Amino acid sequence: MNWMLLLLLLPLAGAALVAFMPEKSARQVATLVTLLCCVPFLAMVGQFDWARSGVDQFQTTAVWFEPLGLSFRLAADSITMLLVGLTVLLGPICVVASYTAISERQKTYYAWLLVLQTAMTGVFLARDMVLFYVFFEFTLVPMFVLISLYGSTNRKYAAVKFFLYTFTGSILTLAGLAYVALEAARANGFWSFDFEALKTAARGMTFDQQKWVFIALMVGFAVKVPVFPFHTWLPLAHTEAPTAGSVVLAGVLLKLGTYGIFRFALQFTPVAAYEYAPALAVLGVVGIIYAGLICWVQSDIKKLVAYSSVSHLGFCVIGLFALNGVGLSGSVMYMINHGLSTGALFLLIGMIYERYHTREFKKLGGLASQMPVWSTFMVFFAMASVGLPGLNGFISEFMCLLGTFQAGGTTWTEFGMIPGRFGDASLLPGATFGNLGPWFAAFAAVGMVVTAIYILYMVGKIVWGEFKAPGHSAHAHNHAKGHGHDNHHGAAHADHAHGPLPRDLSGREIAVLVPLAVACLWLGLYPSPVLRTLEEPVAMVVTQVRADVLRNAQAALPADPQTADAHTPALLQQAATITEPGRR
Amino acid sequence: MNNVIAQLWPEIALFVTTCLVMVVGLSKDRGTRKLCAPISAIGIIVAGYLAATTSVDTATTLPFMAKYGKVLAAGVGLLLLMLMAGTADRQLEDAVDRGEKFEPLRSTRAEFYAFFLFSLMGLMLCAGASDLIFLFLALELTSLPTYVMVALSTRRDRSMEAGVKYFFLGAMGAAMFLFGFALIYGATGSTALADVAYTIQNRAAGTGSIGPLALTGLVLSLLGVMFKIAAVPMHFYTADVYQGAASSVTAFLAFVPKCAGFFAIMLLVGCAGWAFGPDGYGSGTALPPELRILLWTIAVLTMTVGNVLALLQTSVKRILAYSSIAHSGYMLVGVIAGPGPAESTLASNGLAAVLFYLLTYGVMSVGTFSVVAALERRRRATAADAAIDEVDHIDELRGLWKRQPHLAAVMVICALGLLGLPPLLGFLGKLPLFTSALGAGEIVLVVILGLNSAIAAAYYLRLVSVPFLESGEPSTPDAVVPTPFPSRALAGVVAAVLVVVAGLAGGTLGSHAERAGTFRFPTKTMEATRHASQPTSTVSVPPDAAERGPNAR
Amino acid sequence: MNTLFCTLAQSGWPEPMPTGTLFHYLVISAAMFVIGLIGFVTRRNLIIMFLCTELMFQAAGLSLIAFSRFHLNHTGETFVIFVLTVAAAEAALALALVVLLFRRKESLDAERWAELRG
Repeated sequence: MNWMLLLLLLPLAGAALVAFMPEKSARQVATLVTLLCCVPFLAMVGQFDWARSGVDQFQTTAVWFEPLGLSFRLAADSITMLLVGLTVLLGPICVVASYTAISERQKTYYAWLLVLQTAMTGVFLARDMVLFYVFFEFTLVPMFVLISLYGSTNRKYAAVKFFLYTFTGSILTLAGLAYVALEAARANGFWSFDFEALKTAARGMTFDQQKWVFIALMVGFAVKVPVFPFHTWLPLAHTEAPTAGSVVLAGVLLKLGTYGIFRFALQFTPVAAYEYAPALAVLGVVGIIYAGLICWVQSDIKKLVAYSSVSHLGFCVIGLFALNGVGLSGSVMYMINHGLSTGALFLLIGMIYERYHTREFKKLGGLASQMPVWSTFMVFFAMASVGLPGLNGFISEFMCLLGTFQAGGTTWTEFGMIPGRFGDASLLPGATFGNLGPWFAAFAAVGMVVTAIYILYMVGKIVWGEFKAPGHSAHAHNHAKGHGHDNHHGAAHADHAHGPLPRDLSGREIAVLVPLAVACLWLGLYPSPVLRTLEEPVAMVVTQVRADVLRNAQAALPADPQTADAHTPALLQQAATITEPGRR
Repeated sequence: MNNVIAQLWPEIALFVTTCLVMVVGLSKDRGTRKLCAPISAIGIIVAGYLAATTSVDTATTLPFMAKYGKVLAAGVGLLLLMLMAGTADRQLEDAVDRGEKFEPLRSTRAEFYAFFLFSLMGLMLCAGASDLIFLFLALELTSLPTYVMVALSTRRDRSMEAGVKYFFLGAMGAAMFLFGFALIYGATGSTALADVAYTIQNRAAGTGSIGPLALTGLVLSLLGVMFKIAAVPMHFYTADVYQGAASSVTAFLAFVPKCAGFFAIMLLVGCAGWAFGPDGYGSGTALPPELRILLWTIAVLTMTVGNVLALLQTSVKRILAYSSIAHSGYMLVGVIAGPGPAESTLASNGLAAVLFYLLTYGVMSVGTFSVVAALERRRRATAADAAIDEVDHIDELRGLWKRQPHLAAVMVICALGLLGLPPLLGFLGKLPLFTSALGAGEIVLVVILGLNSAIAAAYYLRLVSVPFLESGEPSTPDAVVPTPFPSRALAGVVAAVLVVVAGLAGGTLGSHAERAGTFRFPTKTMEATRHASQPTSTVSVPPDAAERGPNAR
Repeated sequence: MNTLFCTLAQSGWPEPMPTGTLFHYLVISAAMFVIGLIGFVTRRNLIIMFLCTELMFQAAGLSLIAFSRFHLNHTGETFVIFVLTVAAAEAALALALVVLLFRRKESLDAERWAELRG
């Protein structure tokens, strides 16, 4: 039985089912389907050969559109497994979290949520580039519908902006992929968008070609991540989206960008990735600090968490472009951890919003006394987000920073800064390789401090401090009314000058949060099984990048030293360091 | 000669149908009169079947395009026919329903269906044209009936105005490409496309360029044909005419003349060939530089102007009109890319990409127009005929999902398809354009194409969200209700299903387009026959295999 | 223009007729075409506009005949017969449309029909 195919198609079938079921049963069906998705996933986990975690397993291929060489090709390695696991975990959580928030057009809502799950799973499983692109693009439609139908006041603008930004970026990505496919077709004599075929072709390209392909690929992925100058759609989309939409957006959709960078930008164009790593790391660091500072001055908690996503993903990006084992593993871990903790934060904010109908700092406070359970979870996930040791955020953030720190070349090697304290020692030969350095890590670490400040500030204001009851002021009244038809609760509650005291979390809400909390704790206390499975795929990428950079440096070695490129000597020096085991 | 006849069987079938329809449509018996549409449908199906089963290739540089083009014309033609239901004679029939006497002189049903079939026939002939005279007549046969169809399509002044506008600009376009054809004939001494191509490319092989007269001729004829595909600078009529005509006729205009225009463009540009490079003929895989620059500029302007102007519209039909302009621009990219290296597949053959795109565009545009055609505005105050009007403003589609969910779904699927969202058919149409243009080294063009698709997303999203996501009633005082012609909605549903299904399993269609786009280097075919006996032959005999020799692909 | 046609004549055609003769025909035909085009763009009377397109058609016909003579084959002349037929069909169509319009608007001025603006 092909569990992988089942995992992919089950939510789609569920969506069709929801569409034909009566409105009332939509959410039950959706819950059931998303929970059922765990079965094929667990079966896959059982069948997966974890000893060969870097190898694509469960290969499934079918012809899709022969004249263009498109095929329906799926496979999974350990990174795919992790991210699919995250998707499967968030699926039922999103559905259950929407029980009370969504009261109109439930069928549409749950059907699109299920379609979205198929699309996200597909992105991670696809091993045909066009199939990847299909799923990548198709995530836009459900999200567009979710935001523009179920969002708050400014939802239409947010949805269109979200769609146009990502669509524009990914078209250029498609152009880059098509160019690589063209090169592959010239080399092989037939058209194919198979991942391995394209990788071979892309790695064979000259630096000049790689450069453009890299830029084309990065445009789409950077918008999706989002990397600093392209991030403006994200806070808007997050604030306007319904809770489940925000959770999916932060939890999985943003990861499509970093996953794309990991699997395509780094593996297709390693030399260009190496060359441009500092530039992207600068964007990453700027994003970390800039978004962190913006968080500090936010008055809307949802916007704060949204900006914190930008900031957090900056770590993810610098970890990726550290191009060494520690950085890459840390970055992949970060994708998971950010999905868990930020997803949970959005859920918590959604729960507060259902009670208060506002997300303004000014109108929230002192919840520890009224909602102790909620406050406990809030503090817990806020700490996970800050990177408190013992919770999941810490280990990945530290690894990203460490990777960046070590990716500096020779100086730090001689200084004796290779700690080698990370997992299997076999990963270590690459640990000094990279084009970043301590400065990047230092600036990014400043970002960590900023993160701590704004998260603690938020927690302090909301959880502790003077208690504020819902619907406190006339302003809140107007605010709630402004939300229109999608928000019946708002209109109902705002009629009271002083709303009723907020009740604490219901059993359903706790059930939504507990799995995330467990996952956070587990990844924080005992991450090594996950890290071990990451070693092999990460080591493969690192080896490829190293080999290509080295080969490129050797090829660029001029016969006449006078005509050498400016960067050649440094590269060669670095290449020499890598190849000499004695220097380590 | 048998070959020529065999090639024309589909057109002959359509012609017979046309004659039949013209007689039947005037019958006093209502049931007989109504047989026009079914008879036309049968005729189109028979023509399509004949086109699919005859396997005669034409003596042009695109020998296999004829078959594909004819089957395509029949297929989309059938969908268009379903849209046409109730367009002609609606008021007349309503009057008959109220007990008035049927006056054959006032009826336009027969003419309407006859013109529809004539135009479709012209499109088929265009696909199989192997001679400039043939091509000229085919193009005229395609367009002349459409002028009348526009004018007849509604009783309003707007349609009349649109028809006149369309006619005059069309006549000017026709004069332009006719003059161009004359110059091409002057430059080569022949009107057979194979000979024209052979002479021009032979000369180019000798001198490095195709010569000023041939170039002027090609440029003029291309500019003339640009009118048919509504490319900038010949696009001015599009929005007005599309808005003025009845929606069903607009759908027809968006596909049939455009398709004919692209067949003609590919045949004409094929005469100059894609073997030019910086060092003249044979040194590359591009068009002659002058033609390339011309088409490049037109393509970029067409898609940009179309998309930007579409953003500013509030009328659904005008949005679709400008989007149709933009799609012409996309397809020109494939023409510029050319057939690519020998043994090209769909991915590297721009001509095959254009042919495939025509199919995808045809289906999707029929889908979008069918939604508009399947709805009408009825003034609440009166129930009289005159109070029925077409749906035009985008706001009139608001909340459609609640009232006609199937139409809303058709609009959503087809608009997303036109947007190029994978895995719908439109994406598969656009991808070969991307790859073939990249293969031809037109990277800038590909980036412009990509950015234009992104601009287009903005207005297609409006077409998606207004009917599907926005709730509430249209803000017009009139009620927006479905027309009493279910076949219009059915055409849309069929189109939408095709957009989805062919997107997932359309490999066969792609293979057909791939074969149809095969480019064959020209050979001297007609010389012997013409000098011997047949100076007026309008259809050339395909060359025998031996004669194709080393140039054959 | 002169050099253009001289180049043409030099490029080795089967049996060229004297350059001057073909040249004259072509100049006249080009002039007719351009006059037609300019007239079409500048005039607003529908009948005049239609006559201008006819002028363009006949310009093409003239050059076809000249080329036909030049190449010593009959293809061009055949083409002209077809062109005349099509032109006649277009004329019929044009007059029908113009008459219909005139009945509604009592004017032949193209500016008067501005219901559709684009």
